[in-house]
Amino acid sequence: MSDNIHFDEIISRYRSDPYDYVDMYAMHTGKIRFLVEEGDEVEGPSGEWKHIAGNKLYEITRERNTKEITSLTNGTILSLRKELDGKFVEADEKLLTIRHPLKKKEIIESILQEVLFVFHAPERARYYFAMDIQSRIEQKGARSVMVHPGDEVLTMSLMKRDTPVFYEGEEGIIHSVYFKPGESVDQGAPLIGICAKDKLPLIQKIITRVKAEWE
Amino acid sequence: MNFSSDLIAHRLSHVESTARASLFAPAVRDKIVRYGAPIGCLIEHHQRLGRCMHRISDIFLDYETEGKVPLSGTVVIADALENGSGRFDRSWHAPEGGLWLALALADTFIPEISRLLPFVAGIACCETIREMGVRASLKWVNDLCFQNKKIAGVLCETMKSPVYGDKYFVIGIGININNQQFPVELNGTAECLRGFSGEKANVTDVAYRLLGKLGWNIGLLHYQEECLLKVGDQIWENFILKRWLELSDTVGRRVCYGFDVQKKPLYRAVVKEVNEEGGLVMLLEDGTCITEYAGEIIYIDDAS
Repeated sequence: MSDNIHFDEIISRYRSDPYDYVDMYAMHTGKIRFLVEEGDEVEGPSGEWKHIAGNKLYEITRERNTKEITSLTNGTILSLRKELDGKFVEADEKLLTIRHPLKKKEIIESILQEVLFVFHAPERARYYFAMDIQSRIEQKGARSVMVHPGDEVLTMSLMKRDTPVFYEGEEGIIHSVYFKPGESVDQGAPLIGICAKDKLPLIQKIITRVKAEWE
Repeated sequence: MNFSSDLIAHRLSHVESTARASLFAPAVRDKIVRYGAPIGCLIEHHQRLGRCMHRISDIFLDYETEGKVPLSGTVVIADALENGSGRFDRSWHAPEGGLWLALALADTFIPEISRLLPFVAGIACCETIREMGVRASLKWVNDLCFQNKKIAGVLCETMKSPVYGDKYFVIGIGININNQQFPVELNGTAECLRGFSGEKANVTDVAYRLLGKLGWNIGLLHYQEECLLKVGDQIWENFILKRWLELSDTVGRRVCYGFDVQKKPLYRAVVKEVNEEGGLVMLLEDGTCITEYAGEIIYIDDAS
């Protein structure tokens, strides 16, 4: 968590390049067949439960088992590695990049994630707050709930197995909640953003500044 | 009543292993038996407890306070529970006549394998109940039902040991055996083995059978992990899922899904398959597919 926020620098960075670049890697070894071309516009998942898959990006075939990989965000296809089309690739080989246009809210969140301690999902699972934290949030709101290292803050539910998730960061209040309790969260996605109490004014300043300066 | 670790080990190596002679080579069966051997290495029996899972925590605290490492495979059995509970804030009716136990396992599995542990617990329960003459089936993930009534339930949690902070899986299992009286709110939705078979069963015998099968299936899970680590990125045979599918009636059923389906049902769908990771793939009414890795279902067709 940093005190030194250079607002002008950060804001001009987002003004000159208001995009997020999402790299897509081969999920496992296999033969690749691209289903998009560079410059194509793609959409991410939609539907009430995000159950309607995004645009198909590529197929990967391993031992006659073909999987279609779809886009998890909207944007434009960049840096597609056409030379790999029809070829066998190793797991984690970079295949393409999606340039995702950021909305104002996403820009605020991106900046905040640089200054908050962000706690990420350890596994793809459903998460909900630990009962004690949930009741404190209901009584006073998340931004009044202080968490300390070692606190049981969340419960991860995967295949009907509940696992307490213990907070391992700086002491602070729950400033941002990035998931809806009981909703499926991908591994590595942010769950909560924690802010040390004395840094709250700084956070508020960031939000106000971005809101004011970003049309 | 004193439960014997030796009798559990005997069931595992002689009964369970022998019964699968046509499925696995002798060397593989020996390996699975060795992997499953710690189950029941420490076993406590109580006439009455609050919760078996809480007693496991207390045992672990005692061990660690004395500077000892708690035993993976520790089992606590109670004749009746005062505060039996299920997931969320649901209570679990656990009077005398049923089998109520908790088993602690050290978290040594890789994530692809540990996610199959709730399936393994369900398989062991289902095999036990079928052996007692009731052809129960598994409802994703590990509810045991027969004729749309619940006979057994499994609760899987992860706990941190109190002093050293090591991670353990704790599996809570409840089987309605001879307990024929249920609270009003469970009328029509729960039943005991005796209610179906018409015969009183020996609870101790059921406990030994279950522990032997837990030993086998947890051993198989370890063996599955060994195979997975050998093949690396290649496709691997999922023994656990294959067995689970043999015992389940979930695929093809019309269901209502929710994270807490009793309090907040989310949608209706038809179960298309259970994928290689254990995820429930469902076909929604609009023709699209959705895959869930958590939550629960209730059957809403009358195919039971």
